[in-house]
Amino acid sequence: MSATDESLTASLFAYVWRPASRGYKQLLALGLAGTALLIASLTLLISTGIGVWGNNNTVGWGFDIINFVWWIGIGHAGTLISAILLMFQQQWRTSINRAAEAMTLFAVVCALMYPTVHTGRPWFDWWMLPYPSTLGIGPQFKSPLLWDVVAVTTYGTVSLLFWYVGLIPDLAALRDRSPSRTARIVYGVFALGWRGSGRHWSHWKLGYLLLAALSTPLVLSVHSVVSFDFAVSNLPGWHTTIFPPYFVAGAVFSGFAMVIVLLLPASRVLGLTHVITPKHFDAMNKIILATGLMVTYGYAMEHFMAWYSGSEAEATLFFRTRPTGPYAAAYWAMLFCNCVVPQVFWSARARNSPPVMFAVAVLVLIGMWLERFVIIVVSLHRDFLTSSWALYTPTWVDVSLFTGSLLFFFTNMLLFFKFVPAVAASEVKEQGHEAAGAKTVPFMPQVGIEAQP
Amino acid sequence: MTMHVVLGELDGPRELLATVKTLRGEHVRELDTHTPYPVHGLDEALGLPRSTIPWWAFFGGLAGAVTAYAMQLYFNWWEYPLNIANKPPHSPAVYVPVTFELMVLFSALTIVGALVVRFWGFPRPHHPVFEHEPFVQTASASGFWVSVSTRIADDAERAKARLEALGAKNVAVIREPEELL
Repeated sequence: MSATDESLTASLFAYVWRPASRGYKQLLALGLAGTALLIASLTLLISTGIGVWGNNNTVGWGFDIINFVWWIGIGHAGTLISAILLMFQQQWRTSINRAAEAMTLFAVVCALMYPTVHTGRPWFDWWMLPYPSTLGIGPQFKSPLLWDVVAVTTYGTVSLLFWYVGLIPDLAALRDRSPSRTARIVYGVFALGWRGSGRHWSHWKLGYLLLAALSTPLVLSVHSVVSFDFAVSNLPGWHTTIFPPYFVAGAVFSGFAMVIVLLLPASRVLGLTHVITPKHFDAMNKIILATGLMVTYGYAMEHFMAWYSGSEAEATLFFRTRPTGPYAAAYWAMLFCNCVVPQVFWSARARNSPPVMFAVAVLVLIGMWLERFVIIVVSLHRDFLTSSWALYTPTWVDVSLFTGSLLFFFTNMLLFFKFVPAVAASEVKEQGHEAAGAKTVPFMPQVGIEAQP
Repeated sequence: MTMHVVLGELDGPRELLATVKTLRGEHVRELDTHTPYPVHGLDEALGLPRSTIPWWAFFGGLAGAVTAYAMQLYFNWWEYPLNIANKPPHSPAVYVPVTFELMVLFSALTIVGALVVRFWGFPRPHHPVFEHEPFVQTASASGFWVSVSTRIADDAERAKARLEALGAKNVAVIREPEELL
């Protein structure tokens, strides 16, 4: 028995067995209230029709699609951390991948909700599936909207599989340490009977690596496909070839901001600061800075192309409607949040200050939401035909659906933090073992590492 | 027939690796290890062949890509051709996203299906090793265990003595009727 592994296991799982604190219960109550709000708004929406939304005019896409794109983007950080950083052997990912992947799953669920109800008659959504229809007509696979269905479903499924395969050894550890019979049975069912066999590990290692390899192109493809929804049309503000990479960078940008918003408080409350260290936050902040610069480049390119194309419609949108139109405030706030604010991370002190990084992360999340607002609403509200110009104002149903989905997401995260180990214990232990011989261990848990004999 | 499973706990990954190598050198068969994380070098020590998972992934992905392309051809070229933006009924470029996504989806499902059913034989909540209380206490968290399975009672006793001589702790022989396995 290894003392280091023993103390790591104890410290990583301790909070699972602790009874829920008063603060946790209060947060959960708030989350459940939000979930109730979500269900009530959805019920009203489905029973009445999507006329209860503010996009009941020529601005056909509003909060629904903004929130869809925003949530899908949030999910990207989880897959980037778990898959791409694994392929690049970035060891610091190990402490945060589990929580980030959970965030991905819940974000995808929130995202999928919006297009599902946006069809207007969700009880006919199965028409999007390829089945032998008596109408003799199948899905229209030349439409980016259908690519979206396939891309997001695949993304959600593969993320879930990847997360679960990584979770099995930890579920087995929880099963073996369960204080009650009920917990033992529940964790036992999900652990499938894992016994850490050397033969099983041999397949697990390769299978896990292959799932990471498959998820890597998925990160790049999902938001590219989402961006095709816009880029394939010919509307100024949407019709841009830079959209796929620019959307992916923006997705990672907002996703890391959400990871910080969630993990900064959670790591303290759950007592995980010895594995989720300031160095992890420092690394994430650097990624926010880098992707923020890519997003800024995207904005610059959009404006340059609008001028360079010589198209009057493009120039009007980018140089008149966006900066001075009715939604100019959203445009300027977006530029401030996404381009100016992250620049504080050039300073090492800012990257290591919890209040600063929390504030920046929140502003980035707001900024990225505004970016989707600017792309969608500002482009749609003044198209080529002046007679169809209109203003978009969200209704209370729009707002309560968004608030509800946010709180539903936080409810899921709270339940995750309560019942599932938030840090991949087996991976952290493996890394500790492998790094024990190395001279420098930059991202190792700060509990004592076994000395070499 | 009764299955005898001999279990012994080693002090750490290095000791486990050394013990496995020694036992393999003595031609002990049906050898396995139980560790909380994959220990580097154990595959070689146990003499395991490289996992065939990559082939499963490859053929799963291939099946996904072929299915996706055939499905799109069927719906949009053969069953009900629609003129969309004057693209030809069979336009390979617009078939790329769905083909790619289903390739990834099928491949991932095949990997996990093969892992769970073919390679692990799960779900399987019961196993003789779980009858040994010290094993349950540590194997998934911090213990490094070696196990020897045999149908011959004398062999089990010999393996037990050998494990004890090699410094293993909590050594025990678990007996279980084979039909229960």
